[in-house]
Amino acid sequence: MTEDDPTRVPRAKNGRAPDVLRVGGWVPMRCFADDEQVDFVIVGTGAGGGTLSCKLSEYGFSVVALDVGPYWRPLEDFASDEHEQYKLYWTDERISGGEDALELGRNNSGQSVGGSMVHFAMVSLRFRPEWFKSRSLLGYGVDWPVDWREMWGYYREVEENLCLAGPIKYPWGPPRPRYPYRPHELNAAAKVLARGCEKLGIKWCSTPIATLSAPRGLAHPCVYRGFCIAGCSTNAKQSAINTWLPRALKAGAEIRDLAMVGRVELDANGRVRGVHYHREGQWRFQRARNVVVAGYAIETPRLLLNSACPQAPDGLANSSGLVGKYLMAHCNQGVYGVFDDEIRWYKAPPSLSLTEHWNYTDEGKDFDGGYAYMSQGPLPVEWSGTQTGNHKLWGESLLRDMERYNHYAGLKIVGECQAMETNTVRLADEKDRFGLPIANVTFAHSDNDKKLIAHAKNFMRTALEAAGGYDIWAEETETAHLMGTCRMGDDPRSSVVNPDGRTWDVPNLWICDGSLFPTSGGVNPSLTIQAMACRIADRIKALAARAEV
Amino acid sequence: MRTRARPADRLRALQDALAGNARSPALLRSEPPVGAQESADVARLLNAGCAILASSVLADSSMEHYRGSFENKAMFVPPIVSTLALIASLHGASDRSARAERRRDAIYALSAAAAAAGFGFHLYNVGKRDGGFCWENFFYAAPIGAPWALLLSGTLGVAAERVRDTRPGGIPHIFGMAAGRLLAGLTSAGLLGTVGEVWLLHFRGAFQDPFMYLPVTLPPVGAGLLASAALSSKPKKRPLTRFWMKLVTVLGLAGMGFHIYGVHRNMGGWRNWSQNVLNGPPIPAPPSFTGLGLAGLAALRLLEGPKNE
Repeated sequence: MTEDDPTRVPRAKNGRAPDVLRVGGWVPMRCFADDEQVDFVIVGTGAGGGTLSCKLSEYGFSVVALDVGPYWRPLEDFASDEHEQYKLYWTDERISGGEDALELGRNNSGQSVGGSMVHFAMVSLRFRPEWFKSRSLLGYGVDWPVDWREMWGYYREVEENLCLAGPIKYPWGPPRPRYPYRPHELNAAAKVLARGCEKLGIKWCSTPIATLSAPRGLAHPCVYRGFCIAGCSTNAKQSAINTWLPRALKAGAEIRDLAMVGRVELDANGRVRGVHYHREGQWRFQRARNVVVAGYAIETPRLLLNSACPQAPDGLANSSGLVGKYLMAHCNQGVYGVFDDEIRWYKAPPSLSLTEHWNYTDEGKDFDGGYAYMSQGPLPVEWSGTQTGNHKLWGESLLRDMERYNHYAGLKIVGECQAMETNTVRLADEKDRFGLPIANVTFAHSDNDKKLIAHAKNFMRTALEAAGGYDIWAEETETAHLMGTCRMGDDPRSSVVNPDGRTWDVPNLWICDGSLFPTSGGVNPSLTIQAMACRIADRIKALAARAEV
Repeated sequence: MRTRARPADRLRALQDALAGNARSPALLRSEPPVGAQESADVARLLNAGCAILASSVLADSSMEHYRGSFENKAMFVPPIVSTLALIASLHGASDRSARAERRRDAIYALSAAAAAAGFGFHLYNVGKRDGGFCWENFFYAAPIGAPWALLLSGTLGVAAERVRDTRPGGIPHIFGMAAGRLLAGLTSAGLLGTVGEVWLLHFRGAFQDPFMYLPVTLPPVGAGLLASAALSSKPKKRPLTRFWMKLVTVLGLAGMGFHIYGVHRNMGGWRNWSQNVLNGPPIPAPPSFTGLGLAGLAALRLLEGPKNE
């Protein structure tokens, strides 16, 4: 083990943090003492925490952001090796159960500074405006306590920060400004989607995606290496680690890697005092005026539940009893087919084209909600997992079908999942390496989810056939992004946080990540998480100006 | 008594001229006559411009069509034709005689025809892709503006031969039209077409570097100045237009420098030259402006009259 092993020895300390854009590089970092009361301690540095760290430090607050993951330099730490890159996932022990138990790790978690965005698929879509009021306007789910027009502005801010490459004109929803960078050239897999849509007479477009189509500072344009969800080693991928966090450091935030927060401490007045965290072999305590939990849909409720104390015996911010409830997981079924032409779907980002037709069309559906579907590009190891799992191939038949790898193309949904109170994150008796009770996750699809999946599989099968595919088969079980578990709302009885991301129970405890989502929408959540973080930062700034923070 | 031609008349005359009608006495009369040496010098300047355009096409089409694996046999045409055009142009640039040369003429005509066909091929390539004539395909399919440079090289080459053929003391003309005006108009249109292609590709690159705006802002000004010279009634000195043509000439060379720098901004930089030269901004493309700048200067020499005047 070398001394510079970011999984063992923290890199961000002694006044410097890794410069993610240079091999072996460093940038200066302001450091705070544990007993110094900082304005904000932020737990997690991904789409929610990373974005908020940047915004709050730029607004002049003192910020310490803690992440249990290592601080990678993608240029030197990421390999073109799927197995090696499993190091980006949260693979610590967890219990997963329920009728449709979730497979945790690969596509729904991350353990890195920068969070799961380090291996996100870069698909950056806005919510359909109506989804923010899905109960009132569409008759299902619950309303968000925010207005879509307000979110529209924050979406723009995030799109600019990520320098999204997107189509000149987006075919769905209200007008939006032009994406900062132009769309990428479509790979053959994306053209299959396009051909299917053209044949079926529905709209499609190149995917708004967070990988550069032109240079940006020290970051190179995408070289279409195809290892996006195994971690981008070229920095073409624009995510928290190489956009929000460098800005945060510049604005004076401290980022502590390999720092696991085990407990948020409440004082006698019911306000948080700070966090207990584990770093370099010992438990420490960081004092803070405010604590923001941004650990995503499993770790956020886990931390709140693990922070139970005499003043809050059921866990922090849990007077509603809803912490850890209404867990949602996007439906993520794929349909695959073989083509005569060589597709070589591993080249370029996996999802370069998409259609949101079934997100924006309400007729012809026997279910609530919607779905987008996108072109696919699984790498060989991931693909063999799909083949042995969902396709149930083994031995000779697996070998034969793997030989057709270069001729496969596929379509995959991000489908809206209905929130159910019975889908939960609770604490198990078992403990992790820090001695903290691990998460026990229970998940089952609703009947509506099942109808949506059936509709999507049927439609995508038709689309693949229309595009010239044969030997078509569909995945049974597959889920992606997690959401819910600390839902946002207008009413303390039916939500955990208020519209500002502030917990109803504890005035200086905030939540800023995907666990806020009251509904899931039919699009990848990262853009909305970041937009919400920008909004929460603005709310905090406004409240602070009135001395209400 | 002859009155000064009104702009509308001049425009009509130019239109007639462009339509191939030789009925444009006002236009012909307004250009100064030139000596044999002068017409040969102007032709040689034009040949030099053509040489630069042809070498830009040779390098660019060879690289890009190599990248496309010469999948269609027709993709060999532009490198071959531009090589011929380059040879013809170098030959012309070093030829001091005041007589047109038939083989050069034929080669220039051939390259213009090949370019027109190339435009058709490229347009077909854009349209046949999924999505048809959409932005993505204009960005990434065969660049429809690329054959433009070869077309200009051929057309300006043919023009050079006509200018060279001017009878001593006569007014240079091309198919019955005043050569200076026609060349100024042609170069002006050539600049605008080239700007169109640059805009499309720099827009694709999101104008990520502010210098990417230069080739879509400076040349249009030059095109405007040249067009106004083409439409003007009197031979006179045009220092601003001359300056601007020199600027455009230099811009083409500077663009090459910027593109060399641009290649380095791709993953692996110049160490990975074998991929990045193909993938980065095309190094041979910007000198098209240099070729057109020289053509503009040649047109000005005809419009302004001999140097010693």
